[in-house]
Amino acid sequence: MRVGIPRAMLYHHYGEYWLQFLETVGVEAVVSEETTGNTITTGAVHADNETCLPVKVFSGHMLWLKERVDVVLVPRVVSEEYGMCACPKFMGLPDLARSLTPDMPPVLAPRLDMGDRRYLWAREWYDTARALGGSWLSSVSAVSGLLQNLYHHHKSLVDESYEKGGLRVGVAGHVYNVYDSRVSMGMLDRIRKLGATPVTIDEVQHNNALANARTLSREIFWGFESKLAGSVLHWSRTASVSGILYVTSFACGPGSMVGALLEDQLDRERSVPLMTITLDEHAAEAGLVTRLEAFVDMLKYASRAHATPSADGASGGA
Amino acid sequence: MKIAVPRMGNLSLIIKDMVQRFDLDYLETPPFTEQTMEIGAALAPEFACLPLKAVLGTFVGALAMGADTLVTGGGHGPCRFGYYGEIQRRILEREGHDFRMVVLEPPSVSLRAFHDSIRSVIPREQVGFGTLARELYLTLSKVLLLDMLDKRALQLRGLEVVAGSVDEALADAQEIVSRAFTRKELSAARKEGDARFREVEIEWDRPHLKVGLVGEIFVVLETFFNFDIEHWLGRRNVVVERSVTISDTCDPFHRNPVFGYPEHMVARMAKPYLSHEVGGDGLLTVGSSVIFARRGFDAVVHFLPFTCMPEVIAKGVLGRVSQELEMPVLSLSIDEQTGKAGVETRLEALLDLAWSNKAKSLHARAELQAVT
Repeated sequence: MRVGIPRAMLYHHYGEYWLQFLETVGVEAVVSEETTGNTITTGAVHADNETCLPVKVFSGHMLWLKERVDVVLVPRVVSEEYGMCACPKFMGLPDLARSLTPDMPPVLAPRLDMGDRRYLWAREWYDTARALGGSWLSSVSAVSGLLQNLYHHHKSLVDESYEKGGLRVGVAGHVYNVYDSRVSMGMLDRIRKLGATPVTIDEVQHNNALANARTLSREIFWGFESKLAGSVLHWSRTASVSGILYVTSFACGPGSMVGALLEDQLDRERSVPLMTITLDEHAAEAGLVTRLEAFVDMLKYASRAHATPSADGASGGA
Repeated sequence: MKIAVPRMGNLSLIIKDMVQRFDLDYLETPPFTEQTMEIGAALAPEFACLPLKAVLGTFVGALAMGADTLVTGGGHGPCRFGYYGEIQRRILEREGHDFRMVVLEPPSVSLRAFHDSIRSVIPREQVGFGTLARELYLTLSKVLLLDMLDKRALQLRGLEVVAGSVDEALADAQEIVSRAFTRKELSAARKEGDARFREVEIEWDRPHLKVGLVGEIFVVLETFFNFDIEHWLGRRNVVVERSVTISDTCDPFHRNPVFGYPEHMVARMAKPYLSHEVGGDGLLTVGSSVIFARRGFDAVVHFLPFTCMPEVIAKGVLGRVSQELEMPVLSLSIDEQTGKAGVETRLEALLDLAWSNKAKSLHARAELQAVT
């Protein structure tokens, strides 16, 4: 049996663990190809026109898998963190996948709910493993391996030390937007070419991010956005970056709220400059390049003039 | 302390009731207009959904009129609504307004947070706990009465003999219920309201369509944003049923007393299409559409604010519901630029489709009877 996993959305967070799970169960896993322009176009045609860009990309990957696999694994991520919830899109993702076209392969949707008691949802993974033809022993070991990985997801230590000097730009955005080089149009490489070092929120210690997120006047209840906002505040308060790029996608719900929140909060703290970049399926490279160049030039100028960084944030869509 | 609360359907009637019960200093928020929409859209973040922009616009108006305490709802995700209060507070403070924002947490967050947030509007010294609990319970009963009146009016409007007679009855009954405060008064008001509705002349055997109204509570309830679809449908011989009401949302035990199908039943009906809670009214939208289809409704109209996260998922799934249960579903996404004409044209097309489906099925039934 060939089990497909779309290379989109939370694959970029938990993909390794899911692959390891399938390997332990003993089935062949097929991960869809890297995103191409074609993936985005087919996804945008078939998905609902109001959904956000990542869901359209996800739909493109689902359609790529449709002909090639017997069943698709789309875990239903309900929360990534205790006391938090995920974006509603993650909760309804398997259902969106099922209603994409009438002839979709079966979608397996075990629940992944870090905020809930694990015996309530680990059972669903066990059932999935059994449904894929695993023996009870391999299923149990697959599930326990998955739980181990998930509970240690944030425990790994991140090296936050960095050499002084040089221009560092914090890139705050969803992992599935920033690390997908087609969706982000190679943003990280472009920043490197401009002579600055991009820093992503993976390079922030989880505890530091959460501690900073807790200082906000109202707690952000989306797990990932909470870490994102916390990381941005950590960067700005430790002055470890010269400027921050806030990368969001068109029609991103949590992104619209957190973006407004961060702009306001950084402004109140008179902190580093923040630029918002909005990605969508029509985004053109030239627009992005111009903005990045302008932003990096501005940061260079500011550091050369030895002026304290001002907090005027430019915003706009790419 | 001058309190202002956002408008939404019957909410203003309910607030007036609470104001009298707890003796609050209250200022009526200005109604939604083109102008408040413009102000709200200019201040709010670009991709924020419609209710945030709309409410922000009216808050600016309320502050200009002298309000100093803004009360809004809260929540703990995943819907964006839970973060509205914070974003609106930050935006309005940036605009230089001086005020206090009170976010009322629903009991689902925690009973403690619920109680504390209520206490920041109604202080302990003013109203004791027992009185507070009793009066809130009575307010909820009153909301239920008001919503039941609404439901009744929606059902009868398409069948009334004299145009406008149902609306008159509704206004009278609402007036009667608004004057009732104690338990006894409320039960008397319910009977009186029922009697008032019984006076309306109804043509029961008129050919009509049955249409379900589902979607996000704010755009479904607020006539400015749904272009008063309830009256529009009522004028075209359509019996309407609505799945979202304020009392269903406020019901502490999730029984959905007005809609009539408790939450677990809605979830069970939605399960083949949407098998998990997605926040907001997403699951209710899908579940109630399935219920309407099973009950033989002719069409369902789904209202959502542009980019509303739970409703966008529901919209993606409703296509399959419509296909498998053979009932037309029209999703209308509303934002500050939606035009009345566009919405009405699409609704007319939907009604034409529903009428022709109905004629077809009646024809088929008649043929079947002729054969047997």
